[in-house]
Amino acid sequence: MATFQIDNKEIPFEAGDTIIAAAARAGIDIPHYCWHPGLSVAANCRMCLVELLPPPGRKAMMLDVLRWDAASGQYIKESKPKLVPACQQSVSAGMQVLSDSSDHVVRARAAVQEFLLLNHPVDCPICDQAGECRLQDYWLTQGPNKKRMNDEPIHKPKAVDFGPHIVYDAERCIVCTRCVRVCNELAKDPVLSVSQRGNLNEITVAPGRRLDHNYSLMTEVVCPVGALTSKEFRFKARVWFLNSVPSVCVGCSKGCNSLTDYDPRESKVYRYRPRENQAVNKHWMCDVGMLDYARIHEHRILEASIAGETVPRKAALEKAAELLRGVSGQKLGVVFGAEFSQEENAALLALSQVLGAETFFEAGRTPGNSDGVLMQADRNPNSAGVRQLLNSEPLPGSELAQRLQSGQLTHVIILGSTLKDARACEQVSQLTSGKRIVLASHQGPLLTGANVVLPVTTWAEIEGTYVNVEGLAQVSQQAIAPQGQALPAFKWVAHLARALGKSVASKSLAAARALFEAPPTASAESSHQAGAQP
Amino acid sequence: MEAPDIDLDTPSVTLDADPMLLKMGPAHPATHGTVRIIVELSGENIERADVQIGYLHRGFEKMCERGTWSQVFPYVDRCNYVSPLLNNVGYALACEKLLDLQVPLRCQYYRMMLGELARIADHLTCVSAMAMELGAFTPYLWMMKAREMVWDIFEEETGARLTHSFGRIGGMALPPTPGFTEHSQAVVTHVISVIGEAERLLLTNRIFLDRLENVGVMSADDAVSLGWTGPTLRASGIPYDVRKAHPYLRYGDVEFEVPVGVRGDCFDRFVVRLEEMRQSARIIAQCAERMPKDGPVNIDDPRIMLPAKDQVYDTIEGTIQHFKLVMEGIKLPAGEVYGYTEGGNGELGFYLVSDGSGTPHRVRIRPPSFYVTGGLESLITGQMIADVVPCFGSLNMIGGECDH
Repeated sequence: MATFQIDNKEIPFEAGDTIIAAAARAGIDIPHYCWHPGLSVAANCRMCLVELLPPPGRKAMMLDVLRWDAASGQYIKESKPKLVPACQQSVSAGMQVLSDSSDHVVRARAAVQEFLLLNHPVDCPICDQAGECRLQDYWLTQGPNKKRMNDEPIHKPKAVDFGPHIVYDAERCIVCTRCVRVCNELAKDPVLSVSQRGNLNEITVAPGRRLDHNYSLMTEVVCPVGALTSKEFRFKARVWFLNSVPSVCVGCSKGCNSLTDYDPRESKVYRYRPRENQAVNKHWMCDVGMLDYARIHEHRILEASIAGETVPRKAALEKAAELLRGVSGQKLGVVFGAEFSQEENAALLALSQVLGAETFFEAGRTPGNSDGVLMQADRNPNSAGVRQLLNSEPLPGSELAQRLQSGQLTHVIILGSTLKDARACEQVSQLTSGKRIVLASHQGPLLTGANVVLPVTTWAEIEGTYVNVEGLAQVSQQAIAPQGQALPAFKWVAHLARALGKSVASKSLAAARALFEAPPTASAESSHQAGAQP
Repeated sequence: MEAPDIDLDTPSVTLDADPMLLKMGPAHPATHGTVRIIVELSGENIERADVQIGYLHRGFEKMCERGTWSQVFPYVDRCNYVSPLLNNVGYALACEKLLDLQVPLRCQYYRMMLGELARIADHLTCVSAMAMELGAFTPYLWMMKAREMVWDIFEEETGARLTHSFGRIGGMALPPTPGFTEHSQAVVTHVISVIGEAERLLLTNRIFLDRLENVGVMSADDAVSLGWTGPTLRASGIPYDVRKAHPYLRYGDVEFEVPVGVRGDCFDRFVVRLEEMRQSARIIAQCAERMPKDGPVNIDDPRIMLPAKDQVYDTIEGTIQHFKLVMEGIKLPAGEVYGYTEGGNGELGFYLVSDGSGTPHRVRIRPPSFYVTGGLESLITGQMIADVVPCFGSLNMIGGECDH
């Protein structure tokens, strides 16, 4: 592979690479605001300026400048090389780039940083970005400068309502246009643009429009400063109190890679952030997925119940075993959960085999809309996994209603609280015939009239494998402790089997994982580290 | 030695008088902190002795690993709580060694003056308590009153009498108060006269001398192999003083003597401390003369020093600086360093390991009292039970430094 040099270090590159992209791949961080690996090049922040040494035998392009000399109190004539933005300059073999080792570059970056803070408000104590803000980071590493300007800073609009999820603060904005490019290039909805000139520059929403496409939260994610904040996260938590784990979004069957940010002190999830995976979601997630963390704490089932009465876990388990004891496999239906992990479904499959059940259905959230970018119509993360396990298509929900009504099935174990078919779901919930044992994490129609309900953990409370629409198995890690009385479904299955005098080896995550043949896992360990900002 | 439990229920009529086990402490009036000394007595002679530290345990070194480098200052205050300013400065100097920076001249002299005042307070405590434990209560009260005056200076300078937390990486929390040099010189003059009075009272007393002379003799070789430093080592005849051997701050520029003992007994340890206070007074006088009247106390590096409050409230640069230094801490370059100074009881060392982040990877302290207390066992073995008190007193064990 051809190489070039940054600060006398050999860096390999591919044809078409820019300096900053090749450096990033080699683990060298060139400071930048406006460049984003997933967006087009704007080269407007000037933070990534580097010095290019001229080819041998050629003179460098020099600019005449006046430098203020504090000692003599005069301007001195000097010349300096023309610096180039590393995000825009493409690499050629043998090119020699000076980054941190060039005094001109160091001075230029400090000047850019000072310039960007010139009119910046004193907002850190009330700014959600504090702690993960580029302005703060680069103040320390590229400088640091003290305030030299004594004038009143320029004032611009604050707390501008941009859309359902985004609030804009023009004073904090450095007009890097990352948000504009997200709208143009990712959402294909050019709703944001830059208006005014000079230090009155600000981002505006197109007249008559709101920032309401399905990728509006990506503008907040790419914002390197605190100009765009999300209404959902605003003033809710301080980022230095949050921990992150790599996870997989369960909002739809796409399986976008995410980071779950949670407060370990209160076991509460505060937000998702997209995690880079070029094979799935690149750098992005849709708004629906980004806000899906709320379901971890909302409409949960946290206690076991028998016929609607809250009971201890043990009593519910015994009741379930009592219902299932002696039931013939022919009369028992099993409904797998497309919302639940492969480990949990595999345990349920093992239980069905032990009990001789062969009639398989599928529970899951009703379909939504596809947005043609990332969001899929199937709002379940593991539909493909269920099909992999069963090796066939599960029976439709209408069949479940019909067989329960006709008495073909007398008992049914359900992993989930809704059927993908809303009408069938409604029918099943109204049935009085057939005994229903429901393992569910969230409220849903199937709980109505259920004989036994066992509370199950969500994706954030237990590690699990999810197979996305493209057949890629990805691991989502545990963030918080199981809430309430909830247990992972594979544990419920192991307990239930034992209460029935049988055995299913799914008492631990590892054991449940061993129940299914693991397809080659991707993503969770690959790609970006937790917390890395592009 | 095992700590045997005597079974009182044993129906025995013979009284086992020999050997007799006596447990002094951990809460004994003559132990200067929580320490237990188990002695095996034959009559009044100590056959064997076992010194047990560990009753005061806070996990100082581990605690340091959970905050920022600056948040270590309150912890080092509580190592030797009799002279916390020496610890503060010692720790700050170790950090500054890793950062490869030197504080301004004014701060160097300020640190020396505060340090020598702290040393005087430390030695006053030791010698007066030692006398008091041997029955001489009057000089104790005199010297405590003198120490009170030194603490008044500290209170005026730092706002706190005991745990000042006054050191900072790159300087001190505040510049000297306007009357600092005059005040301290007046106090030091008075303290020295008190020391002279107490000395006349004690060193002409037959009983006091008999209790100290040739009691608890430590040879120079043994003192070195025990790791002794400070006044106790010098009393055994070795003139090792970090201020002279490896001058830091401006100790290379000031004149002072290193007093040494002849026999290494309790008496030598007592008088070495008396003399060191006089030498400290000399150093203070020279520093007071040379310390610049104005000029910066702290270095001017926004990556290390906190900004002024008006800067924090009014400018974004100051806010960011404050935020970065408080939330993430001063970033010490990755590496390790051993910084050592002359503390109240000897060489006070900090071995710091930094991984380049704002939080210490490891803070290892070399507290002088820990090593000095290690010599107590050999010091009292073979002595009489009454000699435990002067021997122990002459070592000036500080419980906080034995938490290790």
